[in-house]
Amino acid sequence: MNILPGPKGMPTILLARAVKYDAEASLAAAEKAGAWATWKKTVPQVSPSAVTRLIADAGLRGRGGAGFPAAEKWRSAAAVDADVRYVVANGFEADPGAQVDRMITERDPHAILEGLALAAYAVGASRGYIAVRANQTTSLRRLNAALRAAEEAGYLGTDALGAGFDIHVEIVGVPGGLVVGEETTLMRAIENKRAQPDQRPPYPSAKGLWGRPTVVNNVETLALVPWIVANGSAAFAGIGDDTQPGTTLIQITGAVEKPGIAEVPLGMSIRRLLDLAGGARSGKAGKLKAVLVGGPAGGFLPASELDTLYTPAALAEKGAIWGSGSIVVVDESTCIVDMATLLLRYLSDESCGKTIPCRIGVRRLYELGQRATTGLSKPSDAALAETLAADVRDGALCGLERLAPNPFLSGMRYFATEFDEHFTRGNCPAGVCNPVRVVAQPVSA
Amino acid sequence: MTDTLLPQVADTSAGDAVVERLLETQAPQRRLTAPTFTVEVDGRQFTGRDGQTILDICRDNGIDVPTLCYEPKLPGFGACRMCVVEVEGEDFPPISCSRAAEPDMVVQTQTTRLREIRKTNLELIFSDHNAYCLPPCQNKCPSHIDIPGFLKANTEGNFAESARIFKRTIPFPSVLGRVCPAPCEEHCRRDEVEEAIAIRDSHRYAGDQVLKAQAAGIKAPVPFEIQPKSGKRVSVIGSGPAGMSAAYYLLIAGHDVTIFEKDPAAGGMLRYGIPQYRLPKVEVLEAEYQCVTDLGGVMVTNAELGRDFTLDDLQNQGFDAVCVAIGCYETNTLGVPGEDADGVLDGLEYLRIATLGLPYPGHAGKRVVVIGGGFTSMDSTRTSIRQGAAEVTLVYRRDMKDMPASNEVHEAIEEGARAIFQAAPTRVVTDSKNKVTGVEFQRMKLGAADDSGRRRPEPVAGTEFIIDCDRVLLAIGQGPKLDWLDRGSDGVSATKNRRLAADAVTFTTGRPGVFGTGDVRIGAATVVQANAEGRRAAYAIDAYLQGQDLDAIKTRQTLAEPQPEFLNIVPYTGELKEPRYRLKAMAAEVRNQSYVEYEIPYTQTEAMAESKRCLQCTCEAIGYCDLRRQGIEYGTTLKTLEPQYGGAFSHRSVTENRFTGTNHDYIRDDSHAFILREPSRCIDCGRCANVCKEVVGAACYDFMRTGFDTLVTTPLDMSLNTTPCVSCGRCAETCPTGALMPKPRVLEKYEVDESRCILCGICVDACPYDALRCGPDFELSHDSRAEPMIDLLAISSIDRDTEISWVRKERDWAERARDQGRLIDTGRMLPMLPPGVAGNGHASGNGHSHAGGNGHGPAGNGHAMLDIADGPGRSQPPAG
Repeated sequence: MNILPGPKGMPTILLARAVKYDAEASLAAAEKAGAWATWKKTVPQVSPSAVTRLIADAGLRGRGGAGFPAAEKWRSAAAVDADVRYVVANGFEADPGAQVDRMITERDPHAILEGLALAAYAVGASRGYIAVRANQTTSLRRLNAALRAAEEAGYLGTDALGAGFDIHVEIVGVPGGLVVGEETTLMRAIENKRAQPDQRPPYPSAKGLWGRPTVVNNVETLALVPWIVANGSAAFAGIGDDTQPGTTLIQITGAVEKPGIAEVPLGMSIRRLLDLAGGARSGKAGKLKAVLVGGPAGGFLPASELDTLYTPAALAEKGAIWGSGSIVVVDESTCIVDMATLLLRYLSDESCGKTIPCRIGVRRLYELGQRATTGLSKPSDAALAETLAADVRDGALCGLERLAPNPFLSGMRYFATEFDEHFTRGNCPAGVCNPVRVVAQPVSA
Repeated sequence: MTDTLLPQVADTSAGDAVVERLLETQAPQRRLTAPTFTVEVDGRQFTGRDGQTILDICRDNGIDVPTLCYEPKLPGFGACRMCVVEVEGEDFPPISCSRAAEPDMVVQTQTTRLREIRKTNLELIFSDHNAYCLPPCQNKCPSHIDIPGFLKANTEGNFAESARIFKRTIPFPSVLGRVCPAPCEEHCRRDEVEEAIAIRDSHRYAGDQVLKAQAAGIKAPVPFEIQPKSGKRVSVIGSGPAGMSAAYYLLIAGHDVTIFEKDPAAGGMLRYGIPQYRLPKVEVLEAEYQCVTDLGGVMVTNAELGRDFTLDDLQNQGFDAVCVAIGCYETNTLGVPGEDADGVLDGLEYLRIATLGLPYPGHAGKRVVVIGGGFTSMDSTRTSIRQGAAEVTLVYRRDMKDMPASNEVHEAIEEGARAIFQAAPTRVVTDSKNKVTGVEFQRMKLGAADDSGRRRPEPVAGTEFIIDCDRVLLAIGQGPKLDWLDRGSDGVSATKNRRLAADAVTFTTGRPGVFGTGDVRIGAATVVQANAEGRRAAYAIDAYLQGQDLDAIKTRQTLAEPQPEFLNIVPYTGELKEPRYRLKAMAAEVRNQSYVEYEIPYTQTEAMAESKRCLQCTCEAIGYCDLRRQGIEYGTTLKTLEPQYGGAFSHRSVTENRFTGTNHDYIRDDSHAFILREPSRCIDCGRCANVCKEVVGAACYDFMRTGFDTLVTTPLDMSLNTTPCVSCGRCAETCPTGALMPKPRVLEKYEVDESRCILCGICVDACPYDALRCGPDFELSHDSRAEPMIDLLAISSIDRDTEISWVRKERDWAERARDQGRLIDTGRMLPMLPPGVAGNGHASGNGHSHAGGNGHGPAGNGHAMLDIADGPGRSQPPAG
């Protein structure tokens, strides 16, 4: 995936070292690029609680999609009395189309390790895991190389930095589908148990891996930590949005001129984000019709909502999610019903099958869509889709299940006419679907 | 007060301090009790302890929160999403089984939104639940016979057992096999494949086999264990289907029964109303009635109520209860001019003679008009042909399909009768000598549907026409003869439409100890309805004789009738077509001359093959099934498949479910000796997988595949025999539906393969009958194992629930729900078993007994052969 230049005048944090060193070469190259400098300066001069306070002041929120304040997780995990605590770096990219986490794990593995070490230091964890998809062999190879180099240098492992505490890190390649990206599922997978989500609360920070307090942060979140500790909370808080500061990686694909990944501050409008990718591609297929924000369980936003700010709160208000950081641009050759159905199909197939709303409910939603795209809808289908989507969302166990009806909910919100045409008339305005409804032809004399 | 040897009444706080200090000095103490706090659930305050979930608190305080996947021995799992509750201040409802209670939590368990979510969940389950509760045939049968049960026995060639199952609800399989209109067959699901099962002909065959055996001296099977003599005497008045059914079940319940019959021979309408060619009187009726006399019933004939005795007489003679089942013997009148003409006959009076094959005076060569559309009219028509009438015309005021006896009308037409529909008589045309010469009819058009669902006939003016005839047979319905009410029967009364006033559930009349049942109570109806009435009355009378307050147990009596609950099941798919085996009948031109039974019965091969066509759309787990229970509460099952309730939907495949779609059809696995797996009934709650892994340690099951195809099953869907299964039965015990069941089985011998026995002793612990014991070496071998793989104590404490306890549980659940203000239709629940006729009553598992060490252990001589009784297994659905 291309790296797109970020907006002018913004510092790059996550991609700063992305092309500066070879992750599989010696540690020296990475250190020359700036890796581990913060770790060596911080420990043991700065107290763990000071590190947490720094992160809290910076206003760092989790980059995994939910946007939960990172420092709060750390604090609550540190507050629980336990013999051992864990830090898990979640590099399991649930969205199969997104390569944001992969970008970091492949290009700057040392940043994740350093961030993990700082987090472990802050919460008093002695074990850490970095989990990525088992089929991302490059990520696994580079993370392992970086880990080995850091351990040999004494930055990690028993008596890390000679400061009297242990940080043992393990790189785990986790097989499985979409749902493994959910934090409780990921923990079960690391424990070698059945990869199915559990009810929260209890949150992992109280009861996580093997029942111990566990901090689960996205790799992107952790990769930001060394920069914050090095440059101070104010520098981070000054970037981008006031309430949700900092930069994040987004991936812009679909009908744009230059698809790719860019590091952007939160709080830019989606229109400006698209400009980074050269803007919507125009041509025979027509103009931009919608953007799918947040991955397969994300929400559609129409062209009229492109001024929405790219922050979790603003997106949620419009029915989209931050999610995987992916933005897919859709032009007028696409039928939203068809695309929503396709997404539902994917989500249904990826369901772990644990809960009924997810296993059967999402499937039935997909089937409603399938009926609509083949012109076989019943008159009641539109109302039914809405009811079912709401019931699946409210009765859900895990975050992914809760988000699964999103393509339908947001689609019906902004493209009501298009859905209505499918449900009630068997028409596809975009001319994509194959409605098979037979219309009686008048017999002319 | 100070110097005394007696213990001082000390200041309590000081005492506590002492105790506390003592405790502290002993050892570092854990807190004796968890801290408590207050939680508000549904507006009530409860005390919760640290570590309890919301569900724990609800269960402790008798608040029902529905669960499917929750296994009490394990932490909450969270798959079924049924136990969602609303917690104040939270966006989405958490599930109560996994959510720890916190101080001052405010919880709602029954809001509209929660019920919507639960209902959606249940409907989603049902949309992929390729299974059935009770079959539609059983629902449609007025007596709710266990139809799949006796058909199953038929397929095994076990006709005595088949008849026994039938006799649980109706004592007369052969009689009903000939005269029943078979409403069951109308709703048979096999119809979706090609054609309904011949249910009536199948029990007819089974009943006939019993009668054949009876002729050879083998007594007919008795459905239940005969209770010891109660010393109570019951008189049953009337020996028709209702009276004889009542007598039969009262005899089984241990009472002495005397049956009074006004006619010279027993049978009532069966004998005097149904022609010989449909029901042979000696070979079938008398033979089958013998089962009542075999049980000790005393028959008194030529004794009519009102003429020969009164109710007072009977009660003075010491009968503890009187059951009035005298039927309907007074034909209704037309109410048109000329009705008293010479040649207008009462159909019943005519049939008394004609049914026995005796020539009715002056019938041969006459032109006969039969008015009416019921069984009496049909029998009058068809016997008139046999009596040699020149021309027989059947006239009915509604359409043909609305005839009560519509299934027989084709046969009558075949035999030579003429049928006219939608015409009603306006007057009888007579000559000067008041002799019938014809009947004038008026055409009817069909108006709006009435209460019975049939369209009401309305006269069309100016359409009168006359049919010339010599005789008119009136068969327009009958009412009971109630002239005895004014003599020695104080307290008993008639209803305003001339029926005996008796309760529909308790069958009590206004007079203590006197009960009314059958046609006399409900008006002329089918034989099978009368049988059902009689049986239910017997249970009411039995309860009365046991001194129970009938009004108090009215609910229980209501529940005594199984009310099948229909899941919103998926339509039937994929079954090889195999046409129905039809009974061959004599040609119409042969049979209309004779009174010989004209249907040729099945051969054994045919009977077995026909029964094999049954799809067995029933569930062995009914009564055990949590899914069914919650389906009832949340209205996701249907009470009936009748079209008028289902609107425009088909009345066979239930498509009321909002979420129909693709579904799975898995293969039944009955390879394991003890555990029957029916994956189509699985709801993927994961209980079996969790229990098998966490409690037993065997881990035979897990969630396999992903997405919609997820199924909790064995690896690669293999037989349980290939897994580490230890046959402990925990999975079947925990299964909330019928996906895993103890396998019903009949074993004669056990054989132990000593080369494979690991002396685990589980068989000894699990055996509910103590048929297996430990040998002298057992303890030693057991102790030598560091840690038993299986939680023996847990296994031995499995509750072995019976039908009764489940029925009880369901009743308690309904009562609790009512107390909590949740509406549950009690009419839709499980039957309560009638007292004294319950099935196996083994109430609890026997503990694990290692004592008695000198039994026959697995030591010594090769293969030990151990005699063992029939397994306890879950029996068929309680049928009555």
